[in-house]
Amino acid sequence: MAVRTRAYEADAAAAAALDTRLAGIGTWLFLAADLFFFVAWWFAFFYLRALNNHQDWKAQGIGPPSKGYGAIVLVLALATAITYFLGSRQATMAFLFRLLTPVALVLGIATCLFQGYEMWHLGFGLTEGGYPSVFSGLSGAWVIQFALATAWLASIVTQTGPAGDTIVRRQPAASFAWILLYLAAIGLVNYFLLYVVA
Amino acid sequence: MGAFRIDEADRPHLVRLLVIWIVLSAIGVLAVLQIHYPPYDQTVQGQDQSRTLALLTALATPVFIAVVMMVLYSAVFFRRTTPELVDGPPMLGNTPVQIAWVAISAIVVLFLAVVGIATLASSNVAHAVGQPGRAIGQAGGQTGSGTPGGAGSEMQVQVIAQQWYFTYRYADYGGVETTHLYLPVDRPVELHITSIDIIHSFWAYQLGVKADANPGVDNIFHVTPQKTGSFQVRCAELCGLWHGNMADSEGQVVSQSAFDIWIAQQQKDFEVISKAVPSYAPYYFPEPLIKGG
Amino acid sequence: MVVSERRLSLPNNPITGIVLAIPGYFAGVWLGTLFGLDDDQNTGIILGYLFATAAFLIGIGFLNYPLERLFGWQVTPVTDPAENTGIGRFFRLSLDHKVIGIQYLVTILIMLLFGGIGAMLIRTSLLVPDSTITPPGNYISLIGLHAVMMIFITSAVIVGPFGNYLVPLMIGARRMAFPRLEALSFWVVPPAAVILAAATFWGGFPTGWTGYPPLSVQAGQGMDSYIVGFALIAVALVTSGINMLATIIGLRAPGMTWTRLPMFVWGIFTTSILGLLAAPVLAAALIMLAMDRTVNTSFFLASNGGSNYLWENLFWFFGHPEVYIFILPAFGIIMEIVPHFARKPLWGYRTGVVGLFGVALLSWFVWQHHLFVSGIAPVLRPFYMLSTELISIPTGIIFLVVLGTLWRARVWFTVPMLFCMGFLFNFLIGGISGVYLSDVPTDVTLHGSYFSMAHFHYTIMGGEIFALMAAAYYWLPKMTGKMLSPTIGRIHFWWMFIAFNSTFFPLFIVGLLNMPRRVAAYNPDLVGLNRWVTISAYFLFGSMLVFAGNLIYSWFFVARPAVANPWHARSLEWQVPTPVPAANFDRVPVIVAGPYEYGIPNARPVADLGGIVGATGGG
Repeated sequence: MAVRTRAYEADAAAAAALDTRLAGIGTWLFLAADLFFFVAWWFAFFYLRALNNHQDWKAQGIGPPSKGYGAIVLVLALATAITYFLGSRQATMAFLFRLLTPVALVLGIATCLFQGYEMWHLGFGLTEGGYPSVFSGLSGAWVIQFALATAWLASIVTQTGPAGDTIVRRQPAASFAWILLYLAAIGLVNYFLLYVVA
Repeated sequence: MGAFRIDEADRPHLVRLLVIWIVLSAIGVLAVLQIHYPPYDQTVQGQDQSRTLALLTALATPVFIAVVMMVLYSAVFFRRTTPELVDGPPMLGNTPVQIAWVAISAIVVLFLAVVGIATLASSNVAHAVGQPGRAIGQAGGQTGSGTPGGAGSEMQVQVIAQQWYFTYRYADYGGVETTHLYLPVDRPVELHITSIDIIHSFWAYQLGVKADANPGVDNIFHVTPQKTGSFQVRCAELCGLWHGNMADSEGQVVSQSAFDIWIAQQQKDFEVISKAVPSYAPYYFPEPLIKGG
Repeated sequence: MVVSERRLSLPNNPITGIVLAIPGYFAGVWLGTLFGLDDDQNTGIILGYLFATAAFLIGIGFLNYPLERLFGWQVTPVTDPAENTGIGRFFRLSLDHKVIGIQYLVTILIMLLFGGIGAMLIRTSLLVPDSTITPPGNYISLIGLHAVMMIFITSAVIVGPFGNYLVPLMIGARRMAFPRLEALSFWVVPPAAVILAAATFWGGFPTGWTGYPPLSVQAGQGMDSYIVGFALIAVALVTSGINMLATIIGLRAPGMTWTRLPMFVWGIFTTSILGLLAAPVLAAALIMLAMDRTVNTSFFLASNGGSNYLWENLFWFFGHPEVYIFILPAFGIIMEIVPHFARKPLWGYRTGVVGLFGVALLSWFVWQHHLFVSGIAPVLRPFYMLSTELISIPTGIIFLVVLGTLWRARVWFTVPMLFCMGFLFNFLIGGISGVYLSDVPTDVTLHGSYFSMAHFHYTIMGGEIFALMAAAYYWLPKMTGKMLSPTIGRIHFWWMFIAFNSTFFPLFIVGLLNMPRRVAAYNPDLVGLNRWVTISAYFLFGSMLVFAGNLIYSWFFVARPAVANPWHARSLEWQVPTPVPAANFDRVPVIVAGPYEYGIPNARPVADLGGIVGATGGG
């Protein structure tokens, strides 16, 4: 592969070690950037909630959609991340990795579907004040990112077919676990803000 | 080692530079202090700004001269004279000089900050109030001062911005709404700046006032005129098509007696309209904004 | 390891991209009409722009890698060495950092031409104090287009061409850490520029580059160009930031310790941190603005539970680091170039690095100085006044390092060196005028006036663009293999320096004399100064044409082939042959010395390159 041969590393193992290192650095940098993205949303949440302009942060009769439903989405997201994390730590046990990755993929798809269902049945209109705005924007931004991560997870599943299943490929996949764990943690904070603090 | 010892090779350069710097700085500072800085002295606050501008320029001049002088000096005296490349002396840095530089710039900066904060505290300029009693967070510092006529000797005037003109309501005179701003001299004024559509900025140049007009926000600015005369009002925040024409040069600071005559005339002229406009409020919420081309 | 030999066989080039982008746009408009609200004309346009951009990127070839991964095919090697020659490589998706650097350079220069023409039209309109030359509506859209186009350009003008091309060469690497991200950071820029230009079809947007709501919520469909274009630039900043930082952290050659890193690389490093962390905040704010405009949420409408201060805070939390994204690589360029022509080591290397990091760190704590008169809580203002003024300490450090390097030097007065000195002069004025604006009492008069406009043109144009010119005269010989004419270069410098100061210095006075920014009509008393400025601005534009002429003259008419190291500089990028071989280095260079060790007795060459020093021709 052209990109790889242009690195210095002659043999596949050294190239894979370099890829793993770079993937790790890149992952942490991406997470730092993405954290600032969500911090902006959290700032919007607290700012508009504190200002409560026109008493329209949460107008009469507007509140969080079902807490239980949000909890299901959150648990699914956490389960996705933890399943994949456990699988990816088994770098030397190909069997477990192959078993757990598809499970994580199914859980990830379920997360997106459940969150999508909730978004269509909010119980309030988007025009009805500050809280509906922040809820739809923050949950929407989160689920889009989670869906993209799930798509990447799907590509990892296909890449771990019988012939493609080598340690070389699994090592960069290990740092992807941090992205899933991070998104699940963001989901946890969002749940706390949008359903509990509100 | 040798922390405060000056290298023999540096000495002639340093002496020359120091002499040039002192002479030029003295001339420069005296020159810039001759300038009359806007916004001049029509109000107490404007005079403070004027003085601060003079102070900043007087401080900046020696700094500017020092750096430009160093650059030009290097260009003239540290130019390579031989046709072939020669390396300069390998100086890697000098910790005491660096510490001194940082210390001096820190002192200048802290001095400026202290002066700025002191001026700010004494001239007591703009701050905003959101919803009285409910406003917390950054768009609201104080509460409940939007009630007309209740704040001692300060005259309350509301500035209402809309596309593309300002109107003024005199809370102490029955909330009469006028199209020009008249202020009596030597009486503290509390300006309440708000908007009924989008963000504007109320810039009364000679008064030394600039405050954004935000919809739904009561932005307060204190000003005390001390000289009579006219002043210009302009919008200083891009507000759409006719932003450039959102100006009024008929603002006046007048004597108290002239003001009384003027306001009585305004009350009479706008008597019919005063009944039709909404009653005085710290801010006016428009209908929810709709989009349009 | 091979899963399947199948691969996508779409011809990947910009033509395919454009062919796909047109139906992509209409598909987006159709979807928006299908699902958007009744009175809503913006959803379709935003989706159209996004779909068109995605389709363009697919046509360029960006979908191949994810699809190949997803279907378990073999990942296509995009940079086939056989493909990597000829002029065609500049028009395709390339993962070669050198090709991307040139692609960036040409794109940005074309964008700069349009931004500059915008400036000329603005100044022409201001020849008269009323809006007879340009109607106010056209004037305001000109202001917005010029501003946003220039912001796009200045975000990328150093990191894009010079960062991409030079960072691997300077740290002894053969490639970037994430070539696909690097390519993406380039290929979103042309769509961003085209989408921004498309605003003219909708009558432009009325808000300038700051996009303050509620005006931006009410504005017509031109505003959608602002949202999508800016979002694409945010993507470019994040992807480029991840790539640059990972490269500098992970791909340094052995011996390239942190204290041997060239200052230019430090400039790119610090600016990448800012871009990486600031752009996502902008992205979030733009999503909120798009939602307010399309599905009628109320993030920014005070009448419905929102607040326009939310935008002002989020925008300037991005916006202030953003302006340091412009200037940090310029600081890097100045501290990089001056030692090579002073023929002295950098005076206080570590101090200089601390200065860069100090600026980068403090830039996060100053954003509310843009809101001093907006009505924020008064208790916050002293803090932001202090933090803003504190930035002059690390900036002063950078001046000290440069002046210390010039001290008792043997200055070789080349064109890059002239531009460095021009930078010092202009940025000094820009920096000092910044102190005026950071002081709350004076800011009351100066805020939103031509004074602040002159201030940021002094820092951005007088600072960043002068540094850019220094970089161009210094590094283009390595990048293009042709020396630029030094005679025309000297004419260019003096012309540009005088015209620049003659244009922008009077604007400080214009601002002090009661002229607000972004006005089509102004006080007739100021017509004399404004005409002077306009004439000077024409000359300034002329100086840019001199630069363009120098490029054309030196590249196409009088080819003066550059030798490997025309400046006799020590640093690593000059030790590789010109043109730079496809693989950069034959083998791992082992770095044994710092880049600025001039005049140090028995200083070793900077690296052991395995015997290709001085070789010519490609590898």
